[in-house]
Amino acid sequence: MNIDDILKLKAFDLVGKLKNKIFLKKIRALSLHHYQNCNEYKKIINGLKINLKKINKIEDYPMIPTRLFKKFNLMSVSKNKIVKKLISSGTSGKLSAIYLDQKNASNQTKVLKKIISTILGESRLPMLIIDQNPKLLDRSIFNARAAAIYGFSIFGKNHHFLLSEKDKIDYKGLNNFLKNFGNDKFFIFGFTSLIYKNLILNFNRGLVNLNLKNGILLHGGGWKKMENIGVSNSDFKKKLLNKTGIKNVYNYYGLVEQTGSIFIDCKKCGNFVTSSFSDVFIRNKKFELEKTGKKGLVQLISLLPTSYPGHNILTEDIGEIVGHDKCVLKGKHFKLYGRAKEAEVRGCSDAR
Amino acid sequence: MAGQKKLRLEVVAMQDKKKILFKLSSNKNFTINVSKPFNSLSVEFLNDFSNSLKNYKKISLYPDLIYLMFWTSKKKVKNLIQNLGSNEMRLGRGLIFHICPSNVPTNFIYSFFFGLLSGNSNIVKIPSKNFPEKEAILSLIKFLFKKKKYSSIKNSNCFIKYNNDNEITEKISAICDARVIWGGDETINKIRKIWIPERAIDITFSDRYSLSIINLNQLKKEKKSNVQLLAKRFYYDGYAMNQLACNSPHFIIWVGKKNINLQNKFWNLLNIVVDKKFIFDDIHVVDKYSNLIENIILNKNINFKKKFKNNLYVLEANKNVEQIENIRGVNGTFFEKNIKNLSELKKLITKKCQTVTYYGFEKNELKFFLSNNNLMGIDRFVPIGRALDINAIWDGYDVVRSLSRIITVE
Repeated sequence: MNIDDILKLKAFDLVGKLKNKIFLKKIRALSLHHYQNCNEYKKIINGLKINLKKINKIEDYPMIPTRLFKKFNLMSVSKNKIVKKLISSGTSGKLSAIYLDQKNASNQTKVLKKIISTILGESRLPMLIIDQNPKLLDRSIFNARAAAIYGFSIFGKNHHFLLSEKDKIDYKGLNNFLKNFGNDKFFIFGFTSLIYKNLILNFNRGLVNLNLKNGILLHGGGWKKMENIGVSNSDFKKKLLNKTGIKNVYNYYGLVEQTGSIFIDCKKCGNFVTSSFSDVFIRNKKFELEKTGKKGLVQLISLLPTSYPGHNILTEDIGEIVGHDKCVLKGKHFKLYGRAKEAEVRGCSDAR
Repeated sequence: MAGQKKLRLEVVAMQDKKKILFKLSSNKNFTINVSKPFNSLSVEFLNDFSNSLKNYKKISLYPDLIYLMFWTSKKKVKNLIQNLGSNEMRLGRGLIFHICPSNVPTNFIYSFFFGLLSGNSNIVKIPSKNFPEKEAILSLIKFLFKKKKYSSIKNSNCFIKYNNDNEITEKISAICDARVIWGGDETINKIRKIWIPERAIDITFSDRYSLSIINLNQLKKEKKSNVQLLAKRFYYDGYAMNQLACNSPHFIIWVGKKNINLQNKFWNLLNIVVDKKFIFDDIHVVDKYSNLIENIILNKNINFKKKFKNNLYVLEANKNVEQIENIRGVNGTFFEKNIKNLSELKKLITKKCQTVTYYGFEKNELKFFLSNNNLMGIDRFVPIGRALDINAIWDGYDVVRSLSRIITVE
């Protein structure tokens, strides 16, 4: 199966032994592709004395730590083919840069669409965005937010921003949006922490004439703030239902290094699920595979990255596999527990 | 006591109440006092501190506190006094402003003790991060400050915490007689731009680089248990500060006839120690793996040798590597290089080089090496296992002398 065949698959079709077989082939091919085309990747593989052709398990292929994308401009195509540069802000404040050529960008969109259509359906829905218009946001600070809004807005139409210039809920605008579109399915999108702030903490239902129950809400990102607040995914859903009446709530997990092949939580069990295009492994502190039910570092596999070596990455997130093909959605089911704690870094390098 | 000057701390701190995040004690009548170095009250204060620390329940968990306990004991302080000699008449400079690194749990207290023992008043900016060691130290100081006999120490010394705020740094700098600045090069440059009075001095402890040398000709004569002991000592130097302190080693320079078996035996034994003793956090291993890959990409003359799981990474520098001050590991990543004899070490030493820990050399050999070569780097040679020791001579300064002034009567 080449990448074009894989792109024909449905979002949650490829599972079990067949998936393993195909993924092993694909990851081998992708690793070789990056080895041949990305100078830094080649140095890593040679430096670690790895023979890519001799590896027989997906999990034995070398992972690239996400921090590398902050320090190097990693590309597996020539510079003049790059059409898009994705930027994300990291915890250290340094930015990751991901370089896409036309093909890679279009594959990302295709796959994102497949995954999103499992919750929104095939047609574009009126879209309520729980944020300010990104044009008003300070791009240098809110880059990741703006990028997510632009990325997901292709799945909506009649876009409306809930927050005014002053970062306040615009109830008049909301009532107007609901009057026009609230009687049928519509799409609500936003960063987790902003949804929490605006639809749970500050939301005044008394000021809304119509109801939001037809909304399908998708939220993600920004969970560093949520960790501090300490609200679990299921609490979040309950609170949202109580406050706004929205029943269909989905959480997504995705890294800029693997845009497109994002993970969405299963409506029934609330766990994140791998798609036909992605896989996940959990590693302990020796980088050995962690058993089901054990927490560890999250390693992410995606079949999409071709213009940059992001097909096999080691994140700084902590997660746990909870089971396989357990629920309505087939695939590996996993939970996330936030970022690996910034250790009490010792040393005399900086006075703060 | 000579040179009393009352100073309302309001000038410095009270105005900035909101910005000062922490102040150890409220001293309404902050007074700048100077005295002779090692005045009896300050020595007693350290000894009391040492005794109280001994009773701290969790001390066994923190090797750096155990070390601090010994360091502040009367016996140790007496050694410091002897080092100073007594021919000169000395007095403290006045008010010392200590700016300490955010990420070394115990550094701030040594800096303070140096200031106190030299006969000064001190304002200490403590690290922003919450280390258990830091909390324990501060609560002990607070306890001692409550004793009546230490009221003069309490009134002329102050521990504060604030976010990097130039305004506060400026205000304290403007009235101090010396600043002791610990930190990265960037921090030091930033603080140095802030004005201090004409007579005031800066003592800076900047980013430094450290390494180890091992004499293979000696090591091959040792029985296994001694090699084991050496690995254990090296472990303490290399891992206790996650290899982030300026005195943590990054390189082992093997001196003598190359002996791969013996070198590998050492690494294997080190791995065993790490496996038994060191507890990694998730983020440690991510940092370590990222650092390894960066080193592989950036240094074409560095070859990856072996990964002992995530306990220990070993890389080899080939003969083309001469500049080593920027080749650094983290959380247990070491580089090795072979040289034939000690004199070849010269080429690897730069101004940045601070500590060389050694095994298998006589002190005289090292002194001979130093006096033959007139190097710009290396401030100390200490046996492996003692890299993190703190001495009154640091980074080439005699701290107590630097923080006091000489008075002559003719």
